[in-house]
Amino acid sequence: MIDPGEKDALTTGGPALPVLLRGVAALGSLKLTLTLLVVLVPAIVLAYNSEQWRSWPLALPLAGLAVNLLAALLSNPAFRRQTALIVFHLALVALLLLIAAGRMSYLKGTLEVTEGAWYEGGALTSTDAARWHAGDLDQVRFTNLGFTIDYAAGVRRGPTRNHVRWIDEHGRAREAVIGDQDPLVIEGYRFYTSFNKGFAPTFAFTPATGETIVGAVHLPSYPIHQYEQTREWALPGTHRKLWILLDFDETILDPAQPSAFRVPAEYQVIVRDDDRRWALHAGEAIDLPEGRLELAGLRTWMGYNVFYDWTLPWLAATAALAVLGLGWHFSAKFRRRAWDA
Amino acid sequence: MERELQILWAAIVAYVLGGVLAIFGVALGRRRGHVVLGLLLAGLLLHALSLGLRWQRLDHGPFITLFEILSSNVWSLMLVYLIAYWRIPKIRPSAAIVMPVMFVLMGWLMLAHPGEGHFPPTYRTPWLFIHIGMAKVFLGATLVALGIAGIVLLRRYRLAVQRFASLPEDRRLDELAYRFMALALVFDTLMLITGAIWAQDAWGRYWAWDPLETWSFVTWLLLAFAIHLRLTYRPQPVRGAWMIVAVFVLAFLTFFGVPFVSESPHKGAI
Repeated sequence: MIDPGEKDALTTGGPALPVLLRGVAALGSLKLTLTLLVVLVPAIVLAYNSEQWRSWPLALPLAGLAVNLLAALLSNPAFRRQTALIVFHLALVALLLLIAAGRMSYLKGTLEVTEGAWYEGGALTSTDAARWHAGDLDQVRFTNLGFTIDYAAGVRRGPTRNHVRWIDEHGRAREAVIGDQDPLVIEGYRFYTSFNKGFAPTFAFTPATGETIVGAVHLPSYPIHQYEQTREWALPGTHRKLWILLDFDETILDPAQPSAFRVPAEYQVIVRDDDRRWALHAGEAIDLPEGRLELAGLRTWMGYNVFYDWTLPWLAATAALAVLGLGWHFSAKFRRRAWDA
Repeated sequence: MERELQILWAAIVAYVLGGVLAIFGVALGRRRGHVVLGLLLAGLLLHALSLGLRWQRLDHGPFITLFEILSSNVWSLMLVYLIAYWRIPKIRPSAAIVMPVMFVLMGWLMLAHPGEGHFPPTYRTPWLFIHIGMAKVFLGATLVALGIAGIVLLRRYRLAVQRFASLPEDRRLDELAYRFMALALVFDTLMLITGAIWAQDAWGRYWAWDPLETWSFVTWLLLAFAIHLRLTYRPQPVRGAWMIVAVFVLAFLTFFGVPFVSESPHKGAI
């Protein structure tokens, strides 16, 4: 955005100029800027249509624009005199570099935590991590202390309020209510509650030899899979697979009126092992060849999206700088002449 | 709800009267700027009252349904245009171009169902107002630029030359239109930034190439392209005006087309 009248001799060229300077001037020309902006459009179309085209097709024209800008800075004194414009454009380059750095070190994933249980770092239900991700997910500890979600008539979800406790970097236990746009941030990892949540029949399994192990079965998300509250579950420490079904008659989320997510007051859990079938209420147990299995109760589980990108605060600051530069530039430029002149 | 709609109808009537008067004023060479200004202002105040009553009744702003989005955009576009109309009297004949565009939106609004929609939990954030506010100023600035560009384009026809004869020359109009384009670029940039901040908190990512994000980015690029093109080649005002028309059409499609054909969760929030 340089006034044409202020174009430097370098951009128009001259026979006495060394070839290198002419090359830099050509690289920094506004014509090249326009060409690269046009080239960026098909790259965006590719990126929009396919995830696999979101790196090089975009990176090449963007890198070209960055080079174009730096060359313009070198070759065009008129450009260099416009501090605010330089701030805007350099901030754009910094944004590109930060986005690239973020893409090389991000982590995205999902996890599910049973009410009352701790997430103790490490494994996620699903993970998408960049090659150079180097965060300390193993150090993250937090527990889901339960959640409330109100529903409007028509089973329309209201805000999620999830009570969590975590251990901060000083080893102190802290508590907060997170949900929707208020994530839990630990070690740079941002944990967001998701619409994914449901019921978790909890069992205490006492092997024939050994100590009691408590485990929870995360049934499919509720209410999306309202009529599929069943899951296969491997008995802890064994190869035996059990089929678990939560059975209740209550209407939890009433389409006709406002309601709230809660565990049913009366329920039974059906456990099936091949051709054997048991209906358990809380506190009831069955004896299996591997040990004794007791239904401890019914809890809930919450699904979280986890996101890590160390560049986020830098991106926000750089973007703010960019827009300040742009506003400053235009403000100074337009102040020279009244709008209604 | 009935009272809201009645007040909205009254607002539309005031807008239409003001617009028709502005168009006939240009056509017949009898301009009544103050009357037009008064009618448009009356429409704006009535419209604000209608929106306020709906907001109070539903306990959320007009950001969800097609009806609400159209209504709030008609209001914000009229507000931005009215400020330009009031502060820059020389461009008042641009109402003959701007108001027909607004009539299209108003007609669409009248056809939209005024029923209420569900206000999602992710909308309960101040970023909703900041992001949408920036978007509305952006589109408003583009609309004013379109009005000025329209004068430049209509002047090519003999019939219109006399109608717009009292206005500044094309070069000056072109410069003024591009001021509004620059303003649009600033607010479009702010819209993208605040949208990214909101998306990070609402969906756990700041950018996901969803249809609305992608189209908004392409609109920003076209706007940047138009401004760079003008600086590089200093095109004739007519060509510059066509560029403004192209930016407005793309921005319009992004605002009123993409959210209603996309399947992504990012819809309607404009």
